[in-house]
Amino acid sequence: MVVLLNRLPAEDCPKFVHKVIDGVCGRALPRFRDYGAVWTLTEWMEILEGTTSFLKRAGGKHLSDEEILQLLDGLGLPHQEAVLKSLKGRKEELRQAMVEKTNDVSSAQLQDFDWQLKLPLSSDKIAFLQTPLLNLDLDVRENGILKPVSIEMNKEELQNLIHSLEAANKVVLQLK
Amino acid sequence: MEEVDRILLNSLRQSGADIAEDVESVRQLTTELIVECVVRCLRILNPALGNGVSHLLPPGMSARFRIGMCLAQACQELGYQGEIGYQTFLYSNEPEIRRLLMFLVEKLPRDSADTADQPAEKSVLLQRLIATKIKQQLASAWLPPALRTTSLLNTQNSCLMNKFHSQALSLLSPSAPPLSPSQQSLLFTELWEYWEQHQPPVTAQAWDQACVAASVLERATADLSAVQEWEAEWNSQGLVSRLSPEEYKARKRQRLQSRIQEYLKQSSQRSEVRAGLAGTPAPDLTDPRPDHRCLRAKHSRFIHTEKFTFTQVSEDLSLHFSHQFPPPTPQDVQAEQQKEVRELEKQLKSLGEQIQDVRTAMETQTLTVNQVSEETRDRELSAEEKQQLLHIRKRALDLLPDAEGNLSKLQAVMEASAQRLVSLAGQWEKHRVPLIAEHRRLKQQLDSHELESSRRLMEIKEFHEKIKTSAEEAKRKENVHRQLVLELEHLSRGVGRAAYTQRILEIVSNISKQKEEITKILSDTKELQKEINSLTGKLDRTFAVTDELLFKDAKRDEAVRKAYKYLAALHENCSQLIETIEDTGTILREVRDLEELIDLETGKKTLINLEKILEDHRAIRQENAGLAGRLREA
Repeated sequence: MVVLLNRLPAEDCPKFVHKVIDGVCGRALPRFRDYGAVWTLTEWMEILEGTTSFLKRAGGKHLSDEEILQLLDGLGLPHQEAVLKSLKGRKEELRQAMVEKTNDVSSAQLQDFDWQLKLPLSSDKIAFLQTPLLNLDLDVRENGILKPVSIEMNKEELQNLIHSLEAANKVVLQLK
Repeated sequence: MEEVDRILLNSLRQSGADIAEDVESVRQLTTELIVECVVRCLRILNPALGNGVSHLLPPGMSARFRIGMCLAQACQELGYQGEIGYQTFLYSNEPEIRRLLMFLVEKLPRDSADTADQPAEKSVLLQRLIATKIKQQLASAWLPPALRTTSLLNTQNSCLMNKFHSQALSLLSPSAPPLSPSQQSLLFTELWEYWEQHQPPVTAQAWDQACVAASVLERATADLSAVQEWEAEWNSQGLVSRLSPEEYKARKRQRLQSRIQEYLKQSSQRSEVRAGLAGTPAPDLTDPRPDHRCLRAKHSRFIHTEKFTFTQVSEDLSLHFSHQFPPPTPQDVQAEQQKEVRELEKQLKSLGEQIQDVRTAMETQTLTVNQVSEETRDRELSAEEKQQLLHIRKRALDLLPDAEGNLSKLQAVMEASAQRLVSLAGQWEKHRVPLIAEHRRLKQQLDSHELESSRRLMEIKEFHEKIKTSAEEAKRKENVHRQLVLELEHLSRGVGRAAYTQRILEIVSNISKQKEEITKILSDTKELQKEINSLTGKLDRTFAVTDELLFKDAKRDEAVRKAYKYLAALHENCSQLIETIEDTGTILREVRDLEELIDLETGKKTLINLEKILEDHRAIRQENAGLAGRLREA
C-alpha cells in the first residue's frame, strides 16, 4: 500500500485519505474513475483495502504518532505528513464510527427505516372505508445480509408500537 | 314587506335554492322557483319527506298537480296551519306564499346547521378531490416510459415511490465530548483544515441525491430529540439532585459503570475476563466482534502457558533430534520419523499428564503454604502479646522488694494523673461547650438552608410547570384565534345580520309609537262618545222640559200650540238627521272594507290564475285525449 500511495501526488493525498475515511464512516468511498490515471484496477482494490485497514488500525487502536509513522515507513515525507494530519483531524469521527460498528453485537440490527401513510378510500367489500394505514419498512441486517421487513398498521396498532418504543427509549435514556 | 322578503330570500338561498340575485321580493318568484324553494326547505327539515320529491317542476300537467298535492301534504304534516293545497303552489298568490315560506324558514335549523356544515364540507371537498384525481388517472391510458409526457411522469413513473434512506453525515456535532484546551487547539487546527478544504457540502455527502433530505432530516431530529430528552431529564431529575449539569452527568456515568461492572462480575465467574475487560482502557476497535475477543480472553492463563510449554518442549526436542542423527535412507527416515513421532507423542502425553499432576500438586502446595503462613502470622501475634505481658510482669517483680514505697509512689503518680485527667476534662469541657453550640448552630443553619433550597426547588418546578402549561395554553389559544379568524373570513357574507337587527329594533320602536297613537285615538273616541252621550242627555232633558212647558201653555194659547207643533217637528227632524249621519258613517266604513277586499282580491291575481287554470285545464284535456287515443290504439 505504501508503495502504491507514493504514486499519488502529495497534494492529492489528503483528499484521498479523507474520502476513504468517509467510506469507513458509512458514506461514499472514492471512485476509481477519479484515480484511474494513477492506479490500475487491481492496484486500486489493493490500495483501497490497504488504506482502509490502516486507517481502522490507526484510529481504533489509539496509536501514537510514532507508531503511525512506523506503519507508514517507506512513504515520502510530504505524504506521511499529509496522511498524519488528515488522520488526526478525523480521529474522533473515525473512532465514533467504529464504536458504532462495535455496538452492533446482536445477530440482527436495524439499519434504516422508512414509513408511508396510506388512506384507502374503499375496499372490495366496504364502499366507504377511510381508515388511515401506516406502512413501516424496516431494513434489518441479519448475519450480514440486509433483509427488508414491512409492516402495515392501523391507528391502534401504531399507538401500541409507539408506546412500546417510548418505554424502550426510557430505558435507553437511563443508560445515556 | 321588502325587508321581510329580503330576509326570506336570503335564507332560501342559503338553504340551496337557486334564486337569481336580482329577485328582490316574493312577488317575483315564479312557480318553478317556489316549488324548488319549498322542496329544498323540506329536504333540510325532513329528509324522508323531501327526498321523495323532485325540485324541478315536470312539464306534464298531471305530474305538476301531483307534486303540488305532495308538497301541500308535507307542509301540513310539518304543522302548517293555514289553508294549503296544490293551488297554493301552482296558482300562487303573494300573501299566501309569503306566509308559507315564512313558516318554513322559521322552522329551518339555525347556526347549529351552519357550524356543522363547515368541517363536513372540508372533508367532503377533500374526498371529492381525491375521487376526481383517481378518476382522471384511471381514465388516462398507460404509456411506455419513453412516450410519457411530464404530467404523466408524475403519475405513471415509479420514481416517486422510492424509499427514503438516511445515512450518517459529517457535520459539526454539538454533542462532541469536551476536550482540554491544548488538545482542543491542536485538534481544531487539523479539523479546521478539514472543514475548510476537504469536507464536501452536505448535498454531496450522500450516496444518492434522494437520500439528502432524509439524512438531513434524520440528523436534525436526532440532535433535537437528544437536546429535548436531556432537558426533560434535567428538569425532572437533575434539578432535584442539586448538582451542576457536569457533576450530574459524571455521577450518572460513574453509577452506570459500576452497574455494568457488577453485571459483568455476576455473569462471568472467571477473574481473568474481569481483569481483561477492566484493565484495557482503550479496547481494540479493529475487530468489530467483541464476542470473539471475549472468547479469546476467556482462554485462561493455564491454556496459554500450556501452549507455550508444549511448543517449546517439542521445538527443543526436534532440534535435539535433528542435531544427533545424520540423514539415513528415505524409508528408514520415514519409519524412523513415524516411530519418533509416536514416541514423541507418547512422551508428550506423559509429559502433559506429569505437568497436570505437578500443577495440581502445586496448587495444593500453595494452598498449604498460605495456610502455614497464616498460622505463623497468628503465632507471631500471640508471641508478641505474650512478650508484652512478660514485660509488665517483670516490672512488677522488680518493684516487689520495696512494696510500700513503690505503692505510695504509684498512688502519688495515680493521683497526679487523676488530677491531670480532671483538669484536662475541665479544659476539654471548656472547649467542648462552645464547639457543641457552634455545631448545633451550624446544623440548624444547614437545616434551614436545606429547607430553603427545597422550597426554591419546589418553586422552580412549579415555574417549570407553569411555563409548560402557559406555553400550551398560548399555543391552544393561537390555534383558536386562527380558527376564529378563518371563521370570520367565512362569515363576511353574513354582514347583513347587524343591519337586520337594527331594522327590527326600528320597526319595534315604530310599532310602539303607533300603539301609543292608537291608544290616544281610542281615548279621544271615548271622550267624544261621553260628550255625545251627555249632550244627548241634555237635549232630552231640555226637550222634555220645553215640551212640558209648551204643552201646559198650549191649552191656553193658539200661538203656543203652533210653537209646540214646530218643536215636535224640529225634534223629529233633528233625530232623523242624526240617524242619517250615523248611517253615512257605517256606509263609509263598509265602503272601506269593500275596498280592502277588492285590493286583496286583485292581489290574488285571480284573472291571470283563472287564465292559467283554463290553460292547464285545456292541457289536461289534451293529455287525457292523447291517453285515450293511445288506449284505443292499444
